[in-house]
Amino acid sequence: MTTRIPITILSGYLGAGKTTIINRLLSGDHGRRVAVLVNDFGAVNIDASLIETEDDNTISLTNGCVCCSIGDDLGAALDAQAARHIPPENILLEASGVAEPKRIATHVGFWPGFELDALIVAADAETVRNRANDKFVGQLVRSQIRHADIIALTKTDLVGPEAARGVKAWLRNQVPNARIFEAPNGTLPVALAFGADRASNALSGPVEPAPHSHLRTVMCVPGTGLSRAGLARAIEALPSSVHRVKGFFRDLETGRMTLLQCVGRRHEFLEAPTDTETVLVLIGVGSDTEMNGAMDLLTASDALEADPKSTFAARISD
Amino acid sequence: MSQMTVYTARNIRTMNPSLPEATVVAVKDGRIIEVGTLESMAPWLEAHDHVVDNRFKDHILMPGFVDPHLHPTIGSMLLPCHWVTAMEWQLPDRVSPAIKTHEGFMDRLAEIERSLSDPREILISWGYHKIWHGDVYRKQLNRISDSRPIFVCQRSFHEIVANDAGIDWMEPARDELERHEQVDLETGRFFETGMFLALKSLKRIMMDPERFAQGMAQMKKLMHRGGETTVGDMAFPLTDEAFEWEMLSDNFGSDDAPFRIAITPRGINDMASYGGRTADELKRVNELEERSTDKLRFTNSIKLFADGGFNAELMQLLPPGYIDGHHGEWMMAPEVFEDLARLYWNAGKQIHVHCTGDLGVELALSVLEKLQAERPRFNHRFTIEHLGVSTPEQVRRIKDHGGIVSAAVYYVHELGEAYWHGSIGFERASQMSRMGTLERLGVMTGFHSDFLVSPPQPLKLAWVAVNRIAESGAVLGERERTSLDFAMRAITIDAAYVLNMENEIGSIRAGKLADFTVLEADPWETPLEDLKDIPIWGTVFEGRPFPIK
Ligand SMILES: [Zn+2]
Repeated sequence: MTTRIPITILSGYLGAGKTTIINRLLSGDHGRRVAVLVNDFGAVNIDASLIETEDDNTISLTNGCVCCSIGDDLGAALDAQAARHIPPENILLEASGVAEPKRIATHVGFWPGFELDALIVAADAETVRNRANDKFVGQLVRSQIRHADIIALTKTDLVGPEAARGVKAWLRNQVPNARIFEAPNGTLPVALAFGADRASNALSGPVEPAPHSHLRTVMCVPGTGLSRAGLARAIEALPSSVHRVKGFFRDLETGRMTLLQCVGRRHEFLEAPTDTETVLVLIGVGSDTEMNGAMDLLTASDALEADPKSTFAARISD
Repeated sequence: MSQMTVYTARNIRTMNPSLPEATVVAVKDGRIIEVGTLESMAPWLEAHDHVVDNRFKDHILMPGFVDPHLHPTIGSMLLPCHWVTAMEWQLPDRVSPAIKTHEGFMDRLAEIERSLSDPREILISWGYHKIWHGDVYRKQLNRISDSRPIFVCQRSFHEIVANDAGIDWMEPARDELERHEQVDLETGRFFETGMFLALKSLKRIMMDPERFAQGMAQMKKLMHRGGETTVGDMAFPLTDEAFEWEMLSDNFGSDDAPFRIAITPRGINDMASYGGRTADELKRVNELEERSTDKLRFTNSIKLFADGGFNAELMQLLPPGYIDGHHGEWMMAPEVFEDLARLYWNAGKQIHVHCTGDLGVELALSVLEKLQAERPRFNHRFTIEHLGVSTPEQVRRIKDHGGIVSAAVYYVHELGEAYWHGSIGFERASQMSRMGTLERLGVMTGFHSDFLVSPPQPLKLAWVAVNRIAESGAVLGERERTSLDFAMRAITIDAAYVLNMENEIGSIRAGKLADFTVLEADPWETPLEDLKDIPIWGTVFEGRPFPIK
């Protein structure tokens, strides 16, 4: 089982709302030890009462999170996190506004001791369409959006519901099957940013609610093994309202316990410890019907002899 | 007060059009008293004690060469490496010959390996380029040595190739390397972001203070051999301000270093949102300037960046872009660039903008146009640095808005043909570094080496500008060649103008600092194709002769 620290990259062009997302995530009461690595340390703005210690390039918060400046050596900034007395559970890395997300994902996702979890790209509902046509940065902004696992659409409250729908339609046109999450005031739920709790057994515990959002979590214990090929096909067919899938299942072909991690349109299968319990968790923004339908699609995804009656499904939504 | 020294010479090319040639220059306390003939300066000679120094009677004196953009820090890191290069480089203690084949590369590397006396030395080579040297693989390096770690660094740090001993020596375990998408242990290649894994270990060696100081000593020798007396450090610091400042002070601050460095602070690279904090940024730069000394001086300037590296093919291009359809990159978000440019423009600073492609130039010019409309300035010396790919119309606009150029002329020599065939096609490749247009339109222009982009040899840069001889020997873009006068100004008085120091250096006239480059032949009497081969005796720095040993 991997002990690598998962990294979520927060990309997006200038003014897309990355800093607001970071400020909210850092000061949120979410119970996870997150390290946030930022380019622009001076822009971080946190209620002083939450700050435990602060020096030139690190702020430690009372909720267990830290915020550190990346400086000019990204690898060294990551090494410093891995070397901490208690390393963080998750890292949120703020990409530079002009970074090609795919390049930074390769850089940090394969850094020794780390792995890529998700590539989230913030897009500003007010300006993203203009920016995408800009003479100087249009190509970059379109590329950032295209490579997103999840698009965090910010400032939707400023443009109104109709314009927000227009932007979403436009985004879907740019990126078929784009996973879009509306984050009007910059709130990015930790379940969306980092997925279900990474400790394997925590999946069977209560799933953390995301009170301020329309995010839903659906959990299910498939009664049979599943096939990788079948799951891969089902993932392709998932509605764009499902942003993340994580689960442990017994691989029908090999009989081994396997970990499925899926963020947006990207997924991977990894070996899991043999004593892991079977479970699938979906995180998304669909209606109950849509989310349950998606779960059915996955659990039926192969399984020639799956018996629906033996499937115990715990479904939680807020 | 010291005595006056009167240097006689075969000819003095003053670069002052009011008195272009002379045979005698009188110097006192580091400054020029008068230039002319023994007869013309008789009143000075009669009035002051002096010695006549005839050591240059067979030589040509020119103003000390000025290289307005290079990077002493990068040079100091890489000079201690073992160079195997496609172009010839004359280094202080060795010549790195032009090696243009795969076999030649491997033979040279093997030869270097055999020459190492310390079996524990890690062999780091620099200069490898696929265009000339083909693919280099782990197994080939294993044949050179299976015990000594060998790292072959690509010229512009696109990739590093290692042998097995090197891979084993590296910090990360093999399985961590194996899973990296941009590391291929079979071939031993660490490319693009995978290269950072190799650098992580190599940096410990390359940034070792002792090795770095050796590199800086070589850097000084190299600049001296090029005849340079003033250089611009065009982006301070590179990474570690305290370390770099200490190194520069130790190595260039002393009397025996015949140079002065004009230091341009590097503008902050990434500011996501900095409402109200621009004042801090200005303060940071102004505080750096307080360190200014005669030899390490800040000149009220700032370095900003538009698009990516030219050697890395990351310049931003206007349509039709690259043949293979890839895109360049921005080093600063265009809005950040604009805001910072406005900050420094309004503070009265000279702004140097790194621009390599025509879209990068377009960005710089569109911002300059805005700033001129908002708050017109004369004599602002907004400088386009590099000017790799550009259009003639852009050059006209640079002129119209009072901009100037510090040009990377060497691009066309090293990369003109390679980019013709592999990057942007003939028309734009043959017109890269369009010096002829700059001359025709009368744009103030200095030539820079941007070492390690090209050797810190101003005569070689001038040679490229007047001949445009590409690496195969063919002439590329003959309509973009310049006159000899233009090229020689671009390495002396006009380069001094780029550094905002033309009142003190760049020509030989009464009152200026007594910096001379001493040549064995007169550039105006030398065939243009031989310009780069004129031997250099040494330099005179503030009146003191410094022969090349
Ligand atoms: Zn440079």
